[in-house]
Amino acid sequence: MKLVPNEKLDIEEVLSGLAEYRPRRRGWTWRQPIENQQIGAFLYRDSSKGLERSVPLPTAHSFDDIDPQCDFVITTEIASGRFEDDLRRMRMAAWHGADHIMVIRTTGQSHIDGLIEGTPEGVGGVPITRKQLRASRKALDAIEDEVGRPINFHSYVSGLAGPDIAVLFVEEGVNGAHQDPQYNTLYRGINMHRSFVDAAEAKRIMADAGILQLDGAHNANATAKQAWKVTPELMVQHAINTAYSRAASMPDELIALSTVPPTAPPAPKLRLDLPYALALRDLFQGCRFRAQQNTRYIEADTREATVTHVLDTIVSRLTSAHIQSTITPDEGRNIPWHYNNIAGVNATRQTLMGVDGLADVVALRRDAPALAGMSREIKERAVLFLEEIVENGGYYQAVADGQFVDSGYYPERKGDGIVRDPAGGDAAGTVVPREPGYGAPVCSHFGTNIYDSGKGKACGTYGGCTLCDPSKIQYIDEVDDDNVDQRLKGPLAERAAGLLRPEVEKHGDGIVCVTLFVPAEPLLAEAAALEMARRMGLEAPEVISRRVMHPAEGSVFEIKGRLDVALKVDELHPSTSKELLPEAEIEDWCRGRDVHVVAATVGEDEHSVGLHEILDIKHGGIEKYGFHCHALGTSVDLDKLLDEAAAVGAHAVLISTMVTHGGVHERNMRALHDLAVQRGIRNRLILAAGGTMVTDALARACGLDAGFGRGTTGHDVASFLVRRLRALEDGSLG
Amino acid sequence: MSLSERPDEFESRRQHLRALSDEELHAHFWSLVEQVVDPLIDEARSYTSSSIERSVLLRMGLSSIEAKGLVDSMSQRGLLGHGAGRLVLELSKAKGVTVREAAEALLAGQHWEDLAP
Repeated sequence: MKLVPNEKLDIEEVLSGLAEYRPRRRGWTWRQPIENQQIGAFLYRDSSKGLERSVPLPTAHSFDDIDPQCDFVITTEIASGRFEDDLRRMRMAAWHGADHIMVIRTTGQSHIDGLIEGTPEGVGGVPITRKQLRASRKALDAIEDEVGRPINFHSYVSGLAGPDIAVLFVEEGVNGAHQDPQYNTLYRGINMHRSFVDAAEAKRIMADAGILQLDGAHNANATAKQAWKVTPELMVQHAINTAYSRAASMPDELIALSTVPPTAPPAPKLRLDLPYALALRDLFQGCRFRAQQNTRYIEADTREATVTHVLDTIVSRLTSAHIQSTITPDEGRNIPWHYNNIAGVNATRQTLMGVDGLADVVALRRDAPALAGMSREIKERAVLFLEEIVENGGYYQAVADGQFVDSGYYPERKGDGIVRDPAGGDAAGTVVPREPGYGAPVCSHFGTNIYDSGKGKACGTYGGCTLCDPSKIQYIDEVDDDNVDQRLKGPLAERAAGLLRPEVEKHGDGIVCVTLFVPAEPLLAEAAALEMARRMGLEAPEVISRRVMHPAEGSVFEIKGRLDVALKVDELHPSTSKELLPEAEIEDWCRGRDVHVVAATVGEDEHSVGLHEILDIKHGGIEKYGFHCHALGTSVDLDKLLDEAAAVGAHAVLISTMVTHGGVHERNMRALHDLAVQRGIRNRLILAAGGTMVTDALARACGLDAGFGRGTTGHDVASFLVRRLRALEDGSLG
Repeated sequence: MSLSERPDEFESRRQHLRALSDEELHAHFWSLVEQVVDPLIDEARSYTSSSIERSVLLRMGLSSIEAKGLVDSMSQRGLLGHGAGRLVLELSKAKGVTVREAAEALLAGQHWEDLAP
């Protein structure tokens, strides 16, 4: 399957031939760091191999459109409930620099004792099945070819079917997974014996396939009342999962600690978060660090969330990280919208490029009490935590005693920890002692096993297990009517009919978001904002963010609603925008050629702002490329304009015509053309017009060479002028 | 203050740690972690579960539906401790059939009397 950049992902092609599709590799892939890399005008210290296709940061326009890529893998978490819609989100994220795509599981999958098959719809996530994984991996294989960088696919090896899912992940080319039996125990209420027994098998399977493991400690941050007080326990949780993984033969380079800077402003974030980050990196040298961004204190304000996430990312660069995970800035108010995945990825890559080479100019004061002292204190508190576990009879008893996720700063305890009964929970009593002759004739098995003789493979006697011979994998397509083919009927029919709807999550969901400032006290303003949204035609409007600007002067609201509008694409007339010439090329051509441009607002028209934006260097106008601009002002007579053009030897005349009543803007354009013809100078002079109601088609219909409407910049006009002048110069244009 | 509440006794409790160098503290940390993890991993080595046994049958080329069916039946008969994969493999050897054929026969209700290890 091959993607074409200007064509949409063909979901029907993704879904065809899945029974035969095989992933191209197993295991995790890191970026390829390049220590000193010249990209455009800059030498980068912390960058990696670039992308073949991408959407650069907006400001890259001022830097020759470079798109440097940092050395951290960048994660985005995706889950709309429908994997077929998520594939498009993955493609967009990859174009913006994400190379770790984490698929959140549907609510309740943890409690299903076995694998799910087919493609049912999920809630708050996607049901992870063989078909869903295979289709997603197939699409990601095509997407990674399109952008030119491997993409790591990730989900969860937890719940009651951990070992089953681990095998499934190896078979289907999943590259990373969360695996931490403490997560099952503390947050899912699954029996702890079952969780730990299953975990060893799952970890062994993952380790042999090179799947990167993330632990679950970050959940304690998200759960604790005061997240910075749970830091000693976080050390303990990381350590238990790390030691358990090592015992299941997982190498340190596959053990990634999932760590979150625990606080957010207005707390003094960096001063609290850095000692913890350093203590962790001291104690777990050799492991990998998956730095997550903070969700504990996220509110509905996406700008505020972004600032916290930027600070989290700076903590990563100041200490160390291998993966920088991103949180969508809207996670505090809804299941993430697709363009907010992109916003999160962009905030992170923008930050990481901005702090490239930070270590060359800034160093942490590692010996200062605020760092060394605090860091040591957190470690000692963690040691005391472990001592109490051992004294009281081990891990299971400690959980039974509520020692974990207590909101006290250990050894302080508030008595509000999570309490679980070692003999209780989901699937209690389901671990079975292995009999003396126990055997499992397969690879990647953990524990006693009569087939594990150390000589040859355990699966040798019957021709090999699926890990050695993938042709033995049994593919099940669908098992009931809740499946992707049913869900796609509507969207595919609308697409075939050429219909377009807005969306934020699922195909054509119609959801839009409007921002409204209302100058009144908060409650009145909110009522007004909702009514205004209704009058805009939005169905079921709902305030998703409210910020008081002043208790009496007004509040600003973001309101989401459904816009039930389907447009027919063949009734739309998109402008045929030409690709602009690079700014450097425009300037090179202009400098030294002495190009003069005469410009004015014509007719009875006193508007001057638009023209200044096109001409003046301080507004990014065409002066900056070396055009000599002669601006004659407003309400200028056309005769006077052409006199001036003759006097200075102008190459082009630009008119601004904003007033439109009675079609006066069209009359002005025709008159300019006619006058130039009468004077016999039309062939030597480029004539163009601009204004809010001017279009290129209209201007050319009036005899001019070009028209520029709303949103035009100096770059647009300069690009046109240089193209036209160059053509005149080399004779390719009359 | 309830029984499970406790003030921050860090200063009094840490006295035995004060003199340790950072390296000694790290070593102490990891030795404690091992003491916590050792009994857990010993249990994992010597116990199994329906999920582990399903994952073995998956690796032997059964579908998830087949693996679940077989493991549930073996569990009901108290056979899981022998290993689902071992029971299927040894049956296939005894009958001179493939692993898949042995599994399909069991799923069809045949040969269960021959499974007694």
